[in-house]
Amino acid sequence: MARYGMALDYKNCINCRACETACKAENGILPGKDNYRIWIGQKEAEGEWPNISIVSQTYHPSQCQHCDNAPCQQVCPTNATYYDENRVVRVDPERCILCTYCINACPYDARYVDDRTVTVDKCNFCSDTRLANGETTTACQATCPTKVRTFGDLDDPNSEISQLLKTREYKQVKEHLGTKPKLFYLI
Amino acid sequence: MNELSIKELFRFEKTPLNLLIAILTVGLLGIFVAGATYYFIHGHHAFNVTRQHPWGLLIAMYVFFVVSSTGLCIISSIGHVFEVKEFQVIGKRAIAGAIITLLSGFAVIALEVGHPVRMLIYNVLTPGFTSAIWWMGTLYGIYLVFITFEFFFLTIKENHKWAKIFGIGGLLAGLAAHSNLGAVFGFLISRPTANGVFYPVYFILSAMITGCYLIYIIYGFKYKNSYPANIKAMLLKLNKILGMLLGILIFFEAWKIITALYGTMPERAETILHVIKSPTFIFGEVILGMLIPFIVILFSNAKAIKPMVYVSLAGMVGIFFMRYDLVHDTLIYPMDTLKRSEYQLPPTFIEYFPSATEFAIGFGGIGITLLLFYIAEKVFNLDVDTKH
Repeated sequence: MARYGMALDYKNCINCRACETACKAENGILPGKDNYRIWIGQKEAEGEWPNISIVSQTYHPSQCQHCDNAPCQQVCPTNATYYDENRVVRVDPERCILCTYCINACPYDARYVDDRTVTVDKCNFCSDTRLANGETTTACQATCPTKVRTFGDLDDPNSEISQLLKTREYKQVKEHLGTKPKLFYLI
Repeated sequence: MNELSIKELFRFEKTPLNLLIAILTVGLLGIFVAGATYYFIHGHHAFNVTRQHPWGLLIAMYVFFVVSSTGLCIISSIGHVFEVKEFQVIGKRAIAGAIITLLSGFAVIALEVGHPVRMLIYNVLTPGFTSAIWWMGTLYGIYLVFITFEFFFLTIKENHKWAKIFGIGGLLAGLAAHSNLGAVFGFLISRPTANGVFYPVYFILSAMITGCYLIYIIYGFKYKNSYPANIKAMLLKLNKILGMLLGILIFFEAWKIITALYGTMPERAETILHVIKSPTFIFGEVILGMLIPFIVILFSNAKAIKPMVYVSLAGMVGIFFMRYDLVHDTLIYPMDTLKRSEYQLPPTFIEYFPSATEFAIGFGGIGITLLLFYIAEKVFNLDVDTKH
């Protein structure tokens, strides 16, 4: 059994949004402004014309952090949100009652209501699409032209992601909340 | 129980106030049915809730109803559980009110939760013991059973011993359920303004205040401000209790705001500063919900009975805004961290205004309360019996 996580070399992101498109195509995400599993954020450039700091403008690809201590999982009244055998935080649409408590509890705004199943949906690292078919990459990773994302097993010391996290410094989002996120932003 | 025919059920004294309440009840029930129908056709798209603001008016109205239920249960327990003589007169009517408001709350929440039937099944099959919603729902179920039996032994079987046993059970289950409802918000580590011990305690306090307001409204309407001596004695004592509770609430609220603002902690201080400048807080929560009733009690030396009936109506409007703000204020700070982009303005406080369907279902729930109360008054003898 693995413990999947993702490292993001976010300074390489060129904001092409191919990952967003690949995610929607792979996982059949419906159109609509609230319907997305992953997104690209942008930190605005600092300074005023003409002294604008170009390097201060960065793009931040993001998605569900697959927290090891996920608030969304704790608050679910029917255990519809669960950790699968690879410690991926997933939603069982059969058990989801759409109380949307998990959407309130997620500090990362990673969840939304999926009109296909009328339950809450989120990124699952392509577990039921690509990983279930024996693939070892997620759609967003496979499509990225600048290789921002590295997906893999954090418990395997020889995996590419484990090696990256040993050799590079990284930051995490809202880790002070004790959520133990498994998305690592390489510095 | 009273003998009742269909004809008798629709017979009431045709005073202007009674007619107004009758029209209001029918109107509210009508909009509830219309709202429910629209919801069944369009699902959650009938509501103005979004990814950023997933809870709205219906959650607020659910809290409003169950706060009323718990409040009535707590206030009635002063009489038939703690045996304070003056309060024994309200036992039956208050417990009937507690059952009715709880059922109204369940009717509203059943239309908010996307899969209520699935909820009943999986709450049992795969219970989430770390979920405050699971505990709240389960404890409210137990509470309903207790207060139903309590009502049975107060009104139908008239067995004071068993009524007291179920009354104690109902009181404990109600307190546990209601503080868990506060914990639904208090456990949210993602929302610094809600996270913490405040809401579980505040919910019980505001429930007691709601119970007092409702007792004034119910008895004011029943006796048209001309009270027998035993009711007058109860309402006078209630004045003092309500005054003290309001004083504690104002004290709590003040310290909640001061501690939230102090040190300008990011996210929490900005949110609270935004909240205390909003009209729903100033006019709804503070002026209508707390200050007007408190001032009336204070300046009447806790002897205001007639004014308190009208002031309690204002108080209940204030309580509604407390419930609405509770939900809205928890969610207004945007969670879309790192989501600024050239296509999107930097995050600002999230805006929400309920849809017509939400208004119809939420306020229509009051129609259910009024109808069930009318039926309860017709079917049962809710006045005090001589055995007490």
